[in-house]
Amino acid sequence: MAKNTYLPAPDHGAKTGVLAYLLTTAAVLLLMMVAGLLMRLEQAQMISIGANGFYQLMTVHGAGMVGIAGIAGAAIMWHFLNQYAALSVRVLVGNLALFVIGVAMVLGSVFVGNFHGAWTFLFPLPGNSLGLWSREAAAWFMGGMLVIGTGFLLLQLDIARAIIAGYGGFARALGWPQLFGRDDGQAPPPTVVASTMVTIVNLIALVVGASILAMMLVNLYHPEFAIDPLLAKAMIYFFGHVFINATIYMAVIAVYEILPRYTRRPWKSNKVFLASWTCSTLMVMFIFPHHLLMDFGFPKWMLVMGHVIGYLNTVPILAVTGYGALMIVFRSGIRWDMGSRLLFLSMFGWAAGAMPAFIDGTIRVNYVMHNTLWVPGHFHTYLLLGLVSMVFGFMYYLGKPARQARDPFIDRAAFWAYLVGSLGFVLAFLYAGKESVARRYAEHLPQWVPYDRVASYFAVLIIAATLVFVARFIGHLAHAGGHHTRATVPFGAVVA
Amino acid sequence: MKQPRRSGRHALGAGAAYLLLTLPPVRHWLEASMASHMLVQMPLLVALGMVAVRLLPAGRRRRLRNGFGGPLACLTAATFASAYWMLPRALDAAIGEPLAEFAKFVSLPLLVGLPLALAWESFGLIGRGFVWTNLISMQVFLGWLYVAAPLRVCNNYLVDDQLRVGWLLITLAGLLFAGWLGALFRGAPASRTEAPMYKTA
Ligand code: HEM
Repeated sequence: MAKNTYLPAPDHGAKTGVLAYLLTTAAVLLLMMVAGLLMRLEQAQMISIGANGFYQLMTVHGAGMVGIAGIAGAAIMWHFLNQYAALSVRVLVGNLALFVIGVAMVLGSVFVGNFHGAWTFLFPLPGNSLGLWSREAAAWFMGGMLVIGTGFLLLQLDIARAIIAGYGGFARALGWPQLFGRDDGQAPPPTVVASTMVTIVNLIALVVGASILAMMLVNLYHPEFAIDPLLAKAMIYFFGHVFINATIYMAVIAVYEILPRYTRRPWKSNKVFLASWTCSTLMVMFIFPHHLLMDFGFPKWMLVMGHVIGYLNTVPILAVTGYGALMIVFRSGIRWDMGSRLLFLSMFGWAAGAMPAFIDGTIRVNYVMHNTLWVPGHFHTYLLLGLVSMVFGFMYYLGKPARQARDPFIDRAAFWAYLVGSLGFVLAFLYAGKESVARRYAEHLPQWVPYDRVASYFAVLIIAATLVFVARFIGHLAHAGGHHTRATVPFGAVVA
Repeated sequence: MKQPRRSGRHALGAGAAYLLLTLPPVRHWLEASMASHMLVQMPLLVALGMVAVRLLPAGRRRRLRNGFGGPLACLTAATFASAYWMLPRALDAAIGEPLAEFAKFVSLPLLVGLPLALAWESFGLIGRGFVWTNLISMQVFLGWLYVAAPLRVCNNYLVDDQLRVGWLLITLAGLLFAGWLGALFRGAPASRTEAPMYKTA
């Protein structure tokens, strides 16, 4: 059995590479949030950038946010995993360099080449622009995606190398001997289990993504090499869905690592924990057909699988992590600060964000809700309140100058502004979805405009709060690399 | 002196296998269908080149690798040489022209198998993984090219054969991927493949 005593873990400072990831994250997040606000303002008819501009923004916003979620998640995973298994700084930096090159290609394709076929580059859209963008623009976009994917592939391979060197193989790193045999309390820590799961599913997703991108690039120049559109859609959704899901599985490591430091209670890799991660390793790969429920041409078994696994996958990690977070905090005497607050909020955001997907993954509901703003409502909830909260929680934890340091009023106000802004913003999406407002429409009917306006005000609130978070992180950058204790001591605990 | 005797036997076996592949009846049999030509005969020739490298002493292998220009140069040579033999026109030539057939029997072991094996042993998990994942995604891609090609790509083979090769390539890619991931689950490479190319933090 895993032991229940807490052994204080040292608070390592972040390496320069991790800080570079976080600074990139802060800059891209802010820029893309502004792009999101501009889209919302356009739908609200408060500005006029035209449909073309809207779709350009939508393409960079989608691609930029998904990419940066990956970069931010990778920073968290790398920082903590490096404390258990020796990772390569060169590969870490190489991934960031490839990311920047890929982003430059994507930006060039969108703002110079006028590509605006959405980040999902859904076949056959990139090649069928009806003259709105050139073949080259589409090729640069897909090439940029390939470059970004190559960087992540290298990073995942390095993580695989380190995990195998340290733990002897994925099976052991997932804790299978303890899961299927006797739990001797020697299962790898949660960070290693989560990183292993992410590595397995991302390796598969990246290989599938590279294959379909190569096929589409050939098809772009030689359309006589036809691609089955349904196959292309399945491959793209498999890749995209696994990749974006994996970002939160990386970021949640911040919760596993940091909350125990605040509550002085260990986060154990017990059988239930191990089982949930093993189940999700499989399920996360079979859940994507819930996006295809309206594609009646798909084999029925795949749709049934998407439906059933969509239901099931909501449960394991989320329930185990959410319950675990509640149990670790309950009556622990925790003294809240910005870091722990944001991390705790992220649990709510993740759980709340999964619910609309759970509902929409029901075929009966999907008949009505498919492709409405309900869908952005779902993923903005778990990304803004879940993933981004984890990322800012991590930034606050790293930048904290000392254990006793108190958060200024403006930061605490920004926390509430972020919470209220995000809730208002996502509820406007969800409500519009309930009213059957289609997603990805640049122009909205007059009766939809009020929701868009309300959402725009909430988006401004989110951006204002984010500015405070980012400014504080930059201001505290000098502390982020230091090895000093950061977590507050709970009431009643003795300082070590 | 057990070791040299054993490697001598292996060298003899590899040489015999090579000779067997060159025998006209075996050659014709394997080249009769596109699938056995591309997916049996050619990989066997590459594999024999790799086996030959394993039989050389470590010092000789190192000198050979340096002579080639290092592991990356080896990998590049193997990539280009193998890419050439993936062209349908090259397959046709190998069947129709004795000189091209001779070039195939020499270049696949010497310019693909040999440099690949030389590069392989100096790669860590990152290098090997990168080659595997690329190989797998390119194999799916190539398989699709054969399946989707709107015309018959080889004069010597029928469209049916071409389709079969396409699907076989895709299936093989899936199996290879499962095998590679399975090996990572077992962790067999852990002790052997501590990546020497990448210094860790
Ligand atoms: C202030 C914050 C944000 C605002 C104002 C915003 C706004 C928007 C808007 C207006 C759309 C288009 C909805 C439609 O009509 O279909 C959108 C789509 C999207 N957003 Fe955001 N967003 C924000 C934050 C985020 C974050 C943090 C992420 C991810 C980490 C994200 C990821 C996405 C994605 C993936 C899409 C889908 C694009 C597509 O349909 O192709 N957004 N966002």
